[in-house]
Amino acid sequence: MTLVPLLLALEFGEADPDLAERLKRREPQAMADLYDRYGRLAYSVILRIVRDSEMAEDLVQETFIRIWSRSQAFDSKKGALGPWLLAVARNRAIDYLRSVDGRMARSSYELVEMENPALFANLESQVIASDQASRIREALSKLNASQRNVIELAYFEGLSQTEMAEKLGQPLGTIKTWVRTALKNLRDQLGVVASA
Amino acid sequence: MNCSELAGDYELYALGVLEEPDRGELREHLSRNCQVCTAEVRRAAVRVSALSSLAPEAELPKDLRKRVLASVGIHPQFRWNWMQTWATIAACAVLGMFWVEHLRRERIREVALQDAMQQVKQSEEVLALLNSPETIVRVSSEGAAQPPQGKVFLNPKRGVLLLASNLPPAPAGKIYEMWVIPAGGAPIPAGLFQTETNGTGVHLQKGPIDVASTGAIAVTLEAAGGAPQPTSQPIIVTPLKNG
Repeated sequence: MTLVPLLLALEFGEADPDLAERLKRREPQAMADLYDRYGRLAYSVILRIVRDSEMAEDLVQETFIRIWSRSQAFDSKKGALGPWLLAVARNRAIDYLRSVDGRMARSSYELVEMENPALFANLESQVIASDQASRIREALSKLNASQRNVIELAYFEGLSQTEMAEKLGQPLGTIKTWVRTALKNLRDQLGVVASA
Repeated sequence: MNCSELAGDYELYALGVLEEPDRGELREHLSRNCQVCTAEVRRAAVRVSALSSLAPEAELPKDLRKRVLASVGIHPQFRWNWMQTWATIAACAVLGMFWVEHLRRERIREVALQDAMQQVKQSEEVLALLNSPETIVRVSSEGAAQPPQGKVFLNPKRGVLLLASNLPPAPAGKIYEMWVIPAGGAPIPAGLFQTETNGTGVHLQKGPIDVASTGAIAVTLEAAGGAPQPTSQPIIVTPLKNG
């Protein structure tokens, strides 16, 4: 699991708002710092999704280009830069996965929505700070095999609950229960982030 | 649906797995700038990002950083630092040492080659002298067992060849000098030579020689640079008149 680099990326070094502000000013070093902080995490997530190192490299490149080009729209004061970058990385990879699977039409709209930098604005603190490391670990450890499986199918393969039901040969209701329980665990453990 | 009824859908929406009609309901709230739903979806999106920690940790490809930065028009500049400076100096020093050693070995090889060629040339000259029908042979101190002996080959056109035996190497600061002694005349220097540890020595004094007027060939021990006239008693004397 990439928990340690995730936490290191978010905990040490300058705060995300400073980095986001420098990105908005188009400082070249800011891009280098962004890559140094999140590059490995983004690559790990993308590689897990597409399972092709060459394609993962292309998608990491695409992710950082997108962040660079859209950083003007990002709220550098209260935005959560890491989660935004991870959302872009994940969505680029799932978008690719769907294109090769012929699932392009489905759900592509909400993927784009989830990349919107405004979605990661007004979050006064980083949700995944070091004091929440144990919470993340605990939340993930509380998932049973089925719950973890559906969460991974959703997060890393971008499958809808209906597609998961077909893939796993389980009733849709069962899949929904697994997914909701898993996400409730995540919510309960991570709690509510700072007020909007 | 009201906001509380949508509360369970925020993570599903953020995860991208919320299906119709629930997705449409939530999207409608968001499009109406519902403050509650907007805030909750934002929080859910950040929570969902924590699922990235389920991905196995992968090693970043080495060149990817450069590639990513180049793709947005950033080309990392080369920064010279002390570590690189010292590393460069050390590398140059090592290369310099290798180069000097290489030159030294080349020089040794060159000298050895020149020596070998000189020996071959001298051997050819010795053989030419020995094979010439005009060459005469004289031996010094014939019959004596231990004293240094000299066998002399004289050729009027090629010169004098001395084969010495029982002649220990000259001590430090000394050298053997050969003399051509005309009948009734003063000795003429005929070159310096050293012998081997087994007491043998070969010396060729090239150039024409008047055999008829030569009374003897002699060898003396002289100072390292040689002498214009003998300064010691001859160690080898080979008279020519007796042949």
